[in-house]
Amino acid sequence: MIIVNYIASVFLIVLGLYTVCTKKNLIKIVLGLGITDYGINLLIVSIGFNPGGTAPVYYMADLLNGVAPNFFVDPVPQALTLTSIVIGACVDAMALALVIMINRKYKSVDADEIRRLNG
Amino acid sequence: MIQHFPVMAVMLLFLGAFLVAIFGRISPVIRDGIAIITATISLILIYALIKPVMIDGQIISYWMGNWEPVNGYAIGIGYEVDALGLFFALLVVTTFWLSGVYSLGYLKNDENKMHYYTLYLMLSASVLGLVLTGDLFNMFIMIEIMTFASVALTAFRNRQAIALEAAFKYLVLGSIGSSMTLAGVALIYRVCHTLNMAQISAIIGGQFNLTTLMAFGLILSGLAVKSYIVPFHTPAADAYTAAPTSISMIFSGMVNKAGVYGIIRMVYVVFRAMDRSSLQILLVVFGAVTMFIGVTMALTQHEFKRLLAFHSISQIGYVITAIGLGTALGLNAGLFHAMNHTLFKGLLFLTAGAVLTATGTTNLDKLGGLSKKMPVTTVCFLVGAFSISGLPPFNGFASKWMIYQAIYTRAVQSGNIIFAAATVTALIVSVMTLASFIKVTQAVFFGQANPEHTDVKEVPLSMRIPMIIMAVLCVLTGVFYNVVYRFLLAPAAQAALSVRNYIDMMMNDRMTGASYSAAAGVTDIESVPASFSFWNPIVWLLLFVVIFLGVYIFMATSKSTRGRMLEGGEGYDPKYATFFSGEQEEFSQVGGSDLFWGFKTDWKGYYRIMQGLHSGIVTDYASYIVIGAAIIILVIFICMR
Repeated sequence: MIIVNYIASVFLIVLGLYTVCTKKNLIKIVLGLGITDYGINLLIVSIGFNPGGTAPVYYMADLLNGVAPNFFVDPVPQALTLTSIVIGACVDAMALALVIMINRKYKSVDADEIRRLNG
Repeated sequence: MIQHFPVMAVMLLFLGAFLVAIFGRISPVIRDGIAIITATISLILIYALIKPVMIDGQIISYWMGNWEPVNGYAIGIGYEVDALGLFFALLVVTTFWLSGVYSLGYLKNDENKMHYYTLYLMLSASVLGLVLTGDLFNMFIMIEIMTFASVALTAFRNRQAIALEAAFKYLVLGSIGSSMTLAGVALIYRVCHTLNMAQISAIIGGQFNLTTLMAFGLILSGLAVKSYIVPFHTPAADAYTAAPTSISMIFSGMVNKAGVYGIIRMVYVVFRAMDRSSLQILLVVFGAVTMFIGVTMALTQHEFKRLLAFHSISQIGYVITAIGLGTALGLNAGLFHAMNHTLFKGLLFLTAGAVLTATGTTNLDKLGGLSKKMPVTTVCFLVGAFSISGLPPFNGFASKWMIYQAIYTRAVQSGNIIFAAATVTALIVSVMTLASFIKVTQAVFFGQANPEHTDVKEVPLSMRIPMIIMAVLCVLTGVFYNVVYRFLLAPAAQAALSVRNYIDMMMNDRMTGASYSAAAGVTDIESVPASFSFWNPIVWLLLFVVIFLGVYIFMATSKSTRGRMLEGGEGYDPKYATFFSGEQEEFSQVGGSDLFWGFKTDWKGYYRIMQGLHSGIVTDYASYIVIGAAIIILVIFICMR
C-alpha cells in the first residue's frame, strides 16, 4: 500500500519536471513547479507514515512504562510537509505575480519571446 | 554568554526586517537607521566569535528552546558554529554590511526603499542562518528564504522588463534546486530518522546504501544550483545583470558562497565522501568546465555587469576545483579563493554600480575615458581587476597560486590525467581573465570618452567608502596571506576535516564512544600543514611553459586567418576586415569593448554553440538543470556504490 505512494510521488515529481522543461507557457511552467512540490510532499508524508499506527500523542511516562503501544506515526515529517506546503504556495503566488507583470511588459506569456537576456 | 551570539545575530536581522516593514514608513532616517544598526550589531556579534572559535578552537553549539539530544537522538534544532561555518559567516556579515552602507547612496533615486531594506535584511539573515545552522531541514528553510528574497530583490527595479524576466527565471530554476534539496533531505530522514547534521554524519559514517546515495546526489545537485556551477549557472548571469548593483554584490559575495559552503559541509562533514576518487574527479571536472565556460562567455559580453557575472561563475569554478581535490591544501586554497572572490568581485560590482550611477549606463560600447573624472573608482577598479587576474601583490595571486600548487601536487601524486588537465585549464583561464579585464579597463576607464559624459562626477562618499574598504582588504589579504592562513583558513579547513570533533561537540561528548560506534572510526583525511610556501620551482616552470604554449597556440591560430579579407558575404562587418583605415571606412575603429575580436572570429564555431545554448529561454535552462542533476546522480550511483 505504501509502495503506491512512492510510485505516485516519483511520478508526480517527474511529471512536474517534464512540464517545466517542455511547456512554453509561463503559467504551465508555474503549474509544473507546483506538481513537483506536491510529489515531494507526498514523498515526505509517506516516509513518516506507519500503516496502522496511532496519533503520536502520549505522556512521557506512558512511553517509558510501555503502557502505550510504542508504534505511532512519525510527527516530524508531517511538520516538514506543512512547512513545505507553505513554501510551495509562496513559490506559486510569487511566480504568478511575476507572470502578470511580465505579461504587462512583454505582452506575452510565451517563454520563447521572453528572452531579452541571452548570449 | 558567547553561545547566544550566533542565534542572536540571525534573529536580530529577521527582527530588523519586520521592524523596517512596520516603522519604515515613518521617516527615511528610521528606515535606514534600523537597517544599518541591525546589520552593524550582527557584524559585531559575529566578529566577536573570532577569538573563541578561530583562535581557541571552540565549537559553539546552541539548541533552540534548550531541546538537547535525548538518549543520543537530536530532536531539537541546533545551531553549531565551528570554524568552517564561522569563516563563511565572516564573509557574509562583511558583505552585507558594506552593501548596506553602499546602498544608502546608491538607491538615492529609487522608490519603495522600505521594501528594499526589508528584503535586504531577510536575505542577510537567511544566508547567515544557513552557514551557522546544524540542522539539515533548517538549512533548507534558509535556502528557500534566500531564494525568495533574492528573487524579489532581482525584480526590485520592476519598471525594467529585464528585471522581471531575470526574477522569473531565477524563481523557476531556483525552485527546482530547492525541490531537489528537499527530496534529498526527506530521503536522509528515511534512513537516519534525524535531521541533525552531526548525527547524520555519525550514522552514515561514510558508508552508503542506495537511498543515501540518491539523497547525496539530490542534495549535491540542489546545492550546485545555488552555487551556480555550469550547467546550473544560467540564472546567475541574468540575475546579476538585472538586480541593483548592491544586490549583485550580495549575490556574488554571499549567496553563491552559501552554495559553496553547503557543498563543503555535505561532501566533507555530513557524508564524508571526499576520500573517494570518483567524487573528487566529478567535482574537479565540473569545476574546470565551469571556469572555462564562464571566462569564455565573459569575453564576448558588452554589458559590464553581465561580464562580471560570467567572471563570477568562472571564479566559483576555481573554488569547486580546489575543494574537489580532497586534500588539506586544496581545501585551504578553495576557502582562500572563496574569500578573495567575495572581496574582489564585490569591489568590481561596486565600481560597476558607481559607473552606472555616474553615467546612467553599463554598456561597454557607450562608456570610455572615465579615469580623469572618477579617479577613486578607477583606482578601486584597477585593484579589483588586478586581484581577479591574479597579479602578484594582490590577494587573487596568493589564492590562485595555492590552487595551482594544490592541483599540481594532486596531479603528480595520483598521476591522473584529469587533474593534469585541470591544472592547465586553471592557468589558461587565468590568462583569459586578465585579457578580459584589460578589455574592460580599456573600454570603461581609458580610451576615448563618450561626448555625452562630459559632466560626469565622482560618486558620493557613502559609495566610495565601501569601495575603498574592499580595495584595502584586497591588498592586505594578498600581502599578509600568512596571517590570513594561520587565523582564518587553517582553522576552517581543519574544522571541515576533523569530523569527529564536530560530532562530539554537538552530541554532548558522550555519543561518539557509546551509541555511535561508526563515529569512533572517523578518520581525518589529512591534517593541515602549519604554513604554506609560494616557492616551488617546478610549478613556476610549468606556469611559464603553459603560458608560452597558450600564447603560441593563439598566435598560430590567428596566423592562419591573417591576410584573409572577410569582406562581402553574409554577416560582413567592416570592423573584422583586415584593413579598416582605408577611405571607405575612414571612421571605423576597433572599440574598447572589442579588443579581442580576432580571438572571437577564430573561435566562431565555439561561440556560435555557446551563445545558442545561452538562449534565454527558461525551459532550456530548466532542461540543463535536470540533465546536470541526472549526470551527477548517475556518476554517484555508478562510481560510489
